[in-house]
Amino acid sequence: MKEVREAGEIARLISYLLLLLASVGLFFTANAIPASRFEKLGAGAFPKIVFGVMIIVSGMAIIDAVRKIPRSTYGDFGRQTVAWARRRYLVFISLAALTAYLLAIPVLGFSIASFVFLFGLQLILMPRRPKSMIVAVIVALVFSFGLNWLFAEVFTVFLPRGVL
Amino acid sequence: MADFLSGAAQIFTFTTLIFMLLGSIAGIVAAAVPGFTVTMAIILTLPLTFSMEPLQGIAVMLSVYVGGYTGGLISAALLGIPGTPSSVATTFDAFPMARNGEPGRALSLGVWASFFGTIISTIVLIFAAPPLALFAVRLGPWEYFSLIVFALTIVASLVGSSVIRGMLAGLIGLAISTVGTDPMLGRLRFDFGIELLQTGLPFLVVLIGVFAISQLVSEVEDADSVRSGNALVTGTVDFQTWKVMKEVLMRPVNLLRSSLVGVLIGALPGAGGSIANLVAYDQAKRASKHPENFGQGEPDGIVASEAGNSATAGGGLIPMISLGIPGSAVDAILMASLMVHGIAIGPRLILDHADLVYGMFIAMVVSAFMMLFVSVCSMRLFLRVTEVPKWLIVPVVMTCCVVGTFALNNRVTDLYLLIFIGIAGYAMRALNYSLAPLVLGVILGPIAETNLRRALMTDSDPSLFFTRPISLIFLIAALVSIVWAIRTHLKSRKTTERESDAPAS
Repeated sequence: MKEVREAGEIARLISYLLLLLASVGLFFTANAIPASRFEKLGAGAFPKIVFGVMIIVSGMAIIDAVRKIPRSTYGDFGRQTVAWARRRYLVFISLAALTAYLLAIPVLGFSIASFVFLFGLQLILMPRRPKSMIVAVIVALVFSFGLNWLFAEVFTVFLPRGVL
Repeated sequence: MADFLSGAAQIFTFTTLIFMLLGSIAGIVAAAVPGFTVTMAIILTLPLTFSMEPLQGIAVMLSVYVGGYTGGLISAALLGIPGTPSSVATTFDAFPMARNGEPGRALSLGVWASFFGTIISTIVLIFAAPPLALFAVRLGPWEYFSLIVFALTIVASLVGSSVIRGMLAGLIGLAISTVGTDPMLGRLRFDFGIELLQTGLPFLVVLIGVFAISQLVSEVEDADSVRSGNALVTGTVDFQTWKVMKEVLMRPVNLLRSSLVGVLIGALPGAGGSIANLVAYDQAKRASKHPENFGQGEPDGIVASEAGNSATAGGGLIPMISLGIPGSAVDAILMASLMVHGIAIGPRLILDHADLVYGMFIAMVVSAFMMLFVSVCSMRLFLRVTEVPKWLIVPVVMTCCVVGTFALNNRVTDLYLLIFIGIAGYAMRALNYSLAPLVLGVILGPIAETNLRRALMTDSDPSLFFTRPISLIFLIAALVSIVWAIRTHLKSRKTTERESDAPAS
């Protein structure tokens, strides 16, 4: 349990480092935004304040995290991360399915893409029983073709039709 | 008196009441679906009111408005996803309460708090509209900026387990708000030549991605629980209507304070329910004798958030009725619906169309009762959501989020943003970052920047922030708030240390 917590601390340390790098980069990008002659502060002033504070806070977070994490735990981080990801495989499947669905909408259109996504993801997550399968098909139909019809006919909001 | 009776006569007709009932149902249902907002529901209702009488039309829209502020609590309590931006703080306590086996009580507390919040805001609206409106419009950019600085100190209440990660989350929110066109001169920032980023990161897409998508995928973390067909929430689905009403009324200070916070924030043009619920929650937590219970299913947290957001409905009408300035996007649509009927909104509204103004006050009260009636009758139905297994509800709500994201601007590119923000949101959740400060940062960032720059454009002397009395009051309040937060944090750390030392000794 202690190893898991320390692996979490290392993951958070990596996130602080990424935030520090991003905020330094964006601070200089904001610095390059030319000031306007119409106002004292330019378009870059507010972002510079935000990223400046972010550099300080993420720096403090890094120092705090490095102080807390014992050196011996860094070696085990890779193994712990893989074990964490394995335990949550359904999360990654769901995110991958959502990504594929959103990328497919402009091509297949809302109705078909939604039907495939809804039925597919339910199939992956459900306990496979005949009753569940029937429910999944009905739900997929209602929330894909049905929702599309509702928005088009009642609200006159047209969801993507696709190019196929 | 004649105007009051004329307004009442127009509201209490069978047709108007039926339309208001339908409006209330539509508002509750629309706001209960994650990704759909009160504003969207009102926009969809607007064309339907063109054929109605002016007061009838506005009464229907008010019932959608009031219903919508309550509907957001349904998904906040049952799914842990704020149905609308104004119910972000409701998720903090209503969801843990529902998870602890009391979903009915969580919903009931929210409904009653919303009801009383609306009623209190209407009373304030009737008596204090003109002076409050005059106060609100006297605030210049200096006061607004100082107010936002004060509002940002709320982050201290929302940081969760780590102050530093809470602050980082708030800063990420502020950083997100700087992407796209700058709010003053329209210069592009941080777009890196990508068309997707040029319009900025829309607030609702961020909200849906950060809260809804990350919450939904975290529901499937435990594969065994999902595959066994478990529901999201288990426990008693009893709504406990009258018992909870008494429970809410037993917290009069919290109820009144949160409602007044909602009214005041609602009366400020540009602010609204999305800020009011967080401020009211923060104030309730600070005033509580047991702040450590907040975030674990504390009834005061639900009452504060829901009374706060519902009270903005009345608050938003204050500048609209008194001065013709819309307090929020929804008020702007209400104004548009009156203008369609040829009624000019402005300081003379109350003189020229007193029956209409009184009718609006009555419609607010009727809408609150309609909302209560619809909620009490339909909550059993909504509570059935708790029986739906995770394998079904997760994909379905994801689809609703996708529809809501697309319908917002009719832009496919918003869907691509949703993927990135959803994944980033889950990563932050997994790394134990508190997500509420991020949302607060996204809401407050543009208001803070606009007013800071506007103030210095008007007068380049920065000392004005400290010499203008109201601005100074807000800045002192911000300072007090930070000192208070540090004190509370140190106190709770000492208690934790003492508790962890105890078994060892």
